Amino acid sequence: MDLVPMFLYCLPLLCLFYNLWKIFDKRRHQNCYILDYECYKPSDDRKLNTRFCGEVIRRNKQLGLHEYKFLLKAIVSSGIGEDTYGPKMVTEGREMSPTLDDAIIEMDDFFIDTIDKLFKKTGISPSEVDVLVVNISMLAAMPSLSSRIIYHYKMREDIKVYNLTGMGCSASPIAINIVQNIFKTQRNVQALVVTSESLSLGWYTGKDRSMILANCLFRSGGCAILLTNKVALKEKAMFKLKCLVRTHHGAKDESYGCCIQKEDDQGFVGIHLGKNLPKAATRAFIENLKEIAPKILPVRELLRFILLTLIRKMTQKSTKTGAASRPVINFKTGVDHFCLHTGGKAVIDAVAQNLNLSEHDIEPARMTLHRFGNTSASSIWYVLAYMQAKKRLKKGDKVFMISFGAGFKCNSCLWEVMRDLDQDGNVWKEFINSYPPKTITNPFLEKYGWIQEEDPDTFCIPDDYVIP
Amino acid sequence: MPQILPNFSSSVKLKYVKLGYQYLVNHILTFFLIPVMVGILVEILRLGPEEMLNIWRSLHFDLVQILCSSFLIIFIATVYFMSKPRSIYLVDYACYKAPPTCRVPFSTFMEHSRLILKDNPKSVDFQMRILERSGLGEETCLPPAIHYIPPTPTMEAARGEAEEVIFSAIDSLMKKTRIKPKDIDILIVNCSLFSPTPSLSAMVVNKYKLRSNIKSYNLSGMGCSAGLISIDLARDLLQVHPNSYALVVSTEIITPNYYQGSERAMLLPNCLFRMGGAAILLSNKRRDRSRAKYRLVHVVRTHKGADDKAYKCVYEQEDPQGKVGINLSKDLMVIAGEALKSNITTIGPLVLPASEQLLFLFTLIGRKIFNPKWKPYIPDFKQAFEHFCIHAGGRAVIDELQKNLQLSAEHVEASRMTLHRFGNTSSSSLWYELGYIEAKGRMKKGDRIWQIAFGSGFKCNSAVWKCNRTIGTPTDGPWQDCIDRYPVHIPEIVKL
Repeated sequence: MDLVPMFLYCLPLLCLFYNLWKIFDKRRHQNCYILDYECYKPSDDRKLNTRFCGEVIRRNKQLGLHEYKFLLKAIVSSGIGEDTYGPKMVTEGREMSPTLDDAIIEMDDFFIDTIDKLFKKTGISPSEVDVLVVNISMLAAMPSLSSRIIYHYKMREDIKVYNLTGMGCSASPIAINIVQNIFKTQRNVQALVVTSESLSLGWYTGKDRSMILANCLFRSGGCAILLTNKVALKEKAMFKLKCLVRTHHGAKDESYGCCIQKEDDQGFVGIHLGKNLPKAATRAFIENLKEIAPKILPVRELLRFILLTLIRKMTQKSTKTGAASRPVINFKTGVDHFCLHTGGKAVIDAVAQNLNLSEHDIEPARMTLHRFGNTSASSIWYVLAYMQAKKRLKKGDKVFMISFGAGFKCNSCLWEVMRDLDQDGNVWKEFINSYPPKTITNPFLEKYGWIQEEDPDTFCIPDDYVIP
Repeated sequence: MPQILPNFSSSVKLKYVKLGYQYLVNHILTFFLIPVMVGILVEILRLGPEEMLNIWRSLHFDLVQILCSSFLIIFIATVYFMSKPRSIYLVDYACYKAPPTCRVPFSTFMEHSRLILKDNPKSVDFQMRILERSGLGEETCLPPAIHYIPPTPTMEAARGEAEEVIFSAIDSLMKKTRIKPKDIDILIVNCSLFSPTPSLSAMVVNKYKLRSNIKSYNLSGMGCSAGLISIDLARDLLQVHPNSYALVVSTEIITPNYYQGSERAMLLPNCLFRMGGAAILLSNKRRDRSRAKYRLVHVVRTHKGADDKAYKCVYEQEDPQGKVGINLSKDLMVIAGEALKSNITTIGPLVLPASEQLLFLFTLIGRKIFNPKWKPYIPDFKQAFEHFCIHAGGRAVIDELQKNLQLSAEHVEASRMTLHRFGNTSSSSLWYELGYIEAKGRMKKGDRIWQIAFGSGFKCNSAVWKCNRTIGTPTDGPWQDCIDRYPVHIPEIVKL
């Protein structure tokens, strides 16, 4: 009979097509989209202006003239402005003896403010969240902060929750990496990533210079991001993740030890920032770029670079006195916007020089450093919010995020903008029009510049001295 | 917890009826196929051999058809195998064994307690009563910094303890599996209450010079159930990255968390938590299939944080003097029972044999439709698992679970003996228990193991493993020198 062999052939063919379709369909559901994100703006009574900073420094009886001179130099060149936010216990004068409650309240303020706003903006309810990743580097409480969020928002019982700590300023891409991996194994998942930094218990109260630097740079801030891989929500999504690369240089001892939390000689715990931090950062940065460049740049640029390098090698070989300059790869051919981690003015300058970026490209990072300081892992989201507020993000643009952190890690990722983004009420809304300001130097030098003239032997601040 | 079916189940006749029913339902497919096979066989015999040869000759296939068909079959088979989720194998694991100098027998502990809390004799008495009923033995260990009077929990001491525990465990694991540090692709470290910057995972990367494109994660604050959370994360990562090794390190660093105040509720963890750690190597490489010890079947996570009482039952806070400690609430057992029930409702359908599930379904329907007074049927998990590893959280936890799941003394022996020999080592206790079962030579190929852990939040996580090969009595491991003394009888109260 003809029907029987026909049937015999059709069945396995159908089976084959079904399996192939399953594989292709899986790919469709594996994309990582950002639905929305919300950055945290603490209340105005937590602002640390120049006068208040001077007050805090004076309160620390451990510091002497040498430390004042060092601090002056550090803060003047930090690029931080007058409106950055500190933890409440500093503004209330209790930085010498913070309690666990202070740390928890600091986090609660952030959660309740930011996550509420995010849920309201997107219309998603907390019970629809399937995955929760929280990364707050310097606080490990029990129950974890992720449990705190689940408790407060009454999330579901079968939620997948991960609480990362200790991963430093580069932890945002790590949290996104976890979510990206979960998206590849499950369908129709919504994920909430919460990233922030707890400064209360890490505030350094000693006099070691490498450790006081952290107090001058780190400020309060945070960000909550809603991600999904649901194809149905593709139209509402803001960004799509194209690739993510992580580099870990912990194997090298100098890289591992350049940013490390430890006790100083008197037993005060603080984060030691070593002198070889820039070198370690550069090394990690270059290796990360080497790995991500082939994935994000167009083939033409890669070929051009390879060709130029070969030519240079050949000319160097033939003429021993080859003075040809090294060919620099042009990232702007594949990337339209750069979100740099606001580690400090020196970091931004170094990255700009290495990538050949213009002032316009690094303006978002500089302005974020000026307005919000170094908010650790969440800083790149503030930079992104600045670009969005300035209406720079158009559909199809590519945004490159790069951050560095203790360990020493350098993580970067590339996002594609899914639709023209306008401001619609993000954290920069109220003051975006006053940026960029004419000058970003803070008044620290004019207020306290007289310290540089002082003689260590005769220097003494009277007890009733009031800072003008 | 409600009882099982009323007392006539103890009657012998019903027991055999139950056995017959289980056998019938679990092998139902075989029972259907047998008549069909018999029918075909009879038909073939009836036709006779010549008729068979005629039928065979009448089917002509030419070469093209045969080639196409065989290619098609091979292609389908490949596509099918490619689209299956990868199997995750546990190649091996190693547990940390503290040196005898760190041991804290009851006499040492009570002496320390009396000296440190000399102004609070009631607290000293409380600690003594807890220790008597705790189920701990005389060989549990505390880190060196805690042996000082008063303890000296500096950050350096905490780092020292972390290095000692984690590096010993990883060294031992590398020797057992003969793996090189450069081969590790994923690293997950979980330690609840100590998270320095850079993280403990960075510390491991630094010590073993792991590759720069390693995917490292440092989880913390997730309590005693964090070991299974790390395994869950490793599983998700291994599904996405082919041909990889994942190193999972579970530990709890006691040094910075030893409570130094005198509030009684917060002194309880001091009596129970002890030093310990484990390193586990997971793989999704096909060639590890022969040498791996276990295969991961399921991981089920339940989070009761939405409930107020559950969230607050294990809570870190400051006492009136400002000293930080962990407060365990009085309804911990009730909450643990609730969390376990939720976890069981999810894991039950995945692991229970068809007979148990049907019974459960019938009683459920019966209660809804016929008579709500029918007792709910507690499925018999002993049908689904050969071994149980219950987190050694404390004697009360093990008792409660034994009662809820109707387990025999032998099933919970691993947990009780781990609590006795090593104390509550938090997330790594499950691995010590697994080591006990292996050391006793009870692990055979095909055995299924259920690991259950509870943690702050309140979480209940469970993992199901299947033994891949019969494991001979190990020649190393934390139980090597003392396994012959076990099991010991642990009295209700040890008089101090």
